[in-house]
Amino acid sequence: MNGAGPVLSGIAALVYALILAPIVVVFTLAFSADNFILFPPSGYSLRWFQALAGNAPLLSALGLSVQVASVVTLCSLLVGVPAALALAKGEFRGKDALTGFFLAPLLLPTLITGLALLLFFTPLRLTATLPGLVLGHMTVTVPFVIRMMATALANLPHDIEAAAATLGATPWRVVRRVTLPLAAPGLIACACLSFLLSFDETVISLFIAGPRASTLPVEMVRYVEGRTDPLIAALSVVLIIATLIVVVAVERLVGVARAVGR
Amino acid sequence: MSYLELAGLQKRYGASVAVDDVSLAVEKGEAVALLGPSGCGKTTTLRMLAGLVEPDRGAIRVDGIAMTNLPAHKRNMGYVFQSYALFPHLSVAGNVAFGLEERRRPKAEIARQVEDALALVRLAGLDQRRPRELSGGQQQRVALARALVIHPSVLLLDESLSNLDAKLRDAMRHEIRSIQRSLGITTLFVTHDQVEALTMCDRIAVMHRGRIAQIGTAEDIYERPATRFVAEFVGRANALPATRGPDGKVLLWNEPQPVTAPASGEFDVFVRPQRMRIVPLSEAVGAETVRVSGRILRSVFVGDHVEVLVEGAGGQLTVEMPSGSPALAEGAEVAVIWRAQDSLPFPREAP
Repeated sequence: MNGAGPVLSGIAALVYALILAPIVVVFTLAFSADNFILFPPSGYSLRWFQALAGNAPLLSALGLSVQVASVVTLCSLLVGVPAALALAKGEFRGKDALTGFFLAPLLLPTLITGLALLLFFTPLRLTATLPGLVLGHMTVTVPFVIRMMATALANLPHDIEAAAATLGATPWRVVRRVTLPLAAPGLIACACLSFLLSFDETVISLFIAGPRASTLPVEMVRYVEGRTDPLIAALSVVLIIATLIVVVAVERLVGVARAVGR
Repeated sequence: MSYLELAGLQKRYGASVAVDDVSLAVEKGEAVALLGPSGCGKTTTLRMLAGLVEPDRGAIRVDGIAMTNLPAHKRNMGYVFQSYALFPHLSVAGNVAFGLEERRRPKAEIARQVEDALALVRLAGLDQRRPRELSGGQQQRVALARALVIHPSVLLLDESLSNLDAKLRDAMRHEIRSIQRSLGITTLFVTHDQVEALTMCDRIAVMHRGRIAQIGTAEDIYERPATRFVAEFVGRANALPATRGPDGKVLLWNEPQPVTAPASGEFDVFVRPQRMRIVPLSEAVGAETVRVSGRILRSVFVGDHVEVLVEGAGGQLTVEMPSGSPALAEGAEVAVIWRAQDSLPFPREAP
C-alpha cells in the first residue's frame, strides 16, 4: 500500500483547509481598503501597511520583543545546553529526579506560571523590565532546550565520544570537538524554537509586561481590544512572512549541518 | 614482570557479574585474543583496559605503570571500535590527525604522520574524503590508522572485523596481523570468531561467564582444551556419553574402550570430527585405538570435506573426511575409530 486512500486523503485535505482558512482571511484583510474589519473587503489597498509603519507603540513593542527573544535564546542555550549535557552524559545520584524537575514547568499551565511570576517579581521590581520578561520567558524556553538537547545528545552515534577520549581528548575537549559539532543541527533548531517561543509568548507577558515595557503580542492584544481596523491583519502578514523566512533559512542551515555532520 | 598486566579485574552491573576476576599477562609485542561468546565479558574487559569502564576491583599495569585510576584520555591506548566510531564531521585526514592534535604536535609533523599512517593502511589519496563516502573496509582502515598514529602503548581491537563481508574479513585479518607484527605493537583483540583468534594472535584467552577459562597458544586451546566449555566453543567436537563398566573400564556406545576416566562422576568423551575415521566393521584395530560401531545416516559434501553422520547405540556423531574419499552408502554398518589420545574426557554438566 502506498498513499492513504481517497477517504483519508479527503479528511486530511479538509483539516488542512480548516487550519489554513483563517490565514487566507488574514491575508485578504491585510490588503483591505476599509476602515473596519469587513470580509470580503469592499476594496484593496496598502494603507494598513502604511499605517503600521507609522504606529510607534507597535513598532517599539516589536523592537522589545526581538530584543527579549534574542536575550532569552542566548541565555536559554547557555543554561540549557550544559544542563542537557550533564543529564545525557553524566552519571550521578538524583539524575532522574533532576530531569523531572527541569521538565515540570512544561506541565504547568502558563496562566499559573504568569500569576506566580507576577507575585514573585513585584516586590523585586522586576515587572515590566527587560530582565523580568527574559526570566519569565525562560521558564518556558529552558525546559524546552533541555528536553530537545538531551534527546539530540542521546542520539549521537555510539562510541564516538569514547573514541575521542581514547585518542587523548579531555572530557571538555570531547564536548568541544565532537559532541557540540555533531549536535549542531539540534542546537540550531533549539535556538530558533526558543526565539519563536519567546517572541510568541503572550500569557506570561500579559502578567509581567507594563506600559513601560510591552512585548508585541501584549500590544497586539491591547490594540484589538480597543480598535476594529485591519491594522493587526497587516502586522500578522508581516510576522507570517518573517517567520517563513526564518523557517526556510533554518531548514537550509540544519540541512547543511546534517550534510556536514552525518 | 610482563609488559601489560591485568590483575583480578572485576566489574558488576547490579546483581550480574560482567567480568569476574580476570588476570592476564601480555608480553611486549605480543598479540592476545579474548575469545568468547557474546556476554562473556570480553568487551567489558577491553573497555576497562581503555579506561572507558571503571573496574570495581583489580589493577591494570602497562610497563610497570599503574593505569587503573587514570582517565581514558591519559592512557595512550589505541582503540578500534566495532562500529569504527569515526568522526563524521571530520575528513579522513582530520580523523587520523585527531589524536596528534590533542597531543599538540606541530602542524608539519602531524601532516607527515597522518600521511604515513594512511599509507600504512593503504588509504593514501583518500585523505580529504568524509567517512560516509568510504566503504566498510576503508572505514575500518581509517579507524586502524587513527588508533596507530598516536603510537599507543597497547592496541585494542573490539570485534573489529565483524562488520565486514567474509572475503574482506580474510584480507583485513592478514593485513592487521602483518601491521601488528611489523610495528611490534602489543595487541589485545576481542572476538567471538575462533578463526580470527586462531589466525591473528600469538595466544588466546578463552572467556566464559566473565572468567578466563584457558590461556594458551592456538594449538594448546585446540588440542588440549582445559574445560568442557573450551572444547565445545573452539572448533567442533563430538560429545560421546561415557559409562563405567563393572570392571571400571570406560564404555562408549556400550563397547569397552582404552580411554582413561576421571576419578569420579559422570563424564563425556570429546573427539574432534576430523580425528575420526570410518572403516569397515571387519578391519582390525590396535590396542590404543577407540572403536565404536554404527550405521551411516547421511553423508554431506561440504566442498573441502565430507561430513558423515553416524548413528549408534549411544546416539549420533559426525565424522569429517577429506573430500575425494570413497563414497559411503547411507545405511551401511561401519566402525568409527580414533586414537585413544584424541579422546578428551570432561565431567558432564548439570543441565
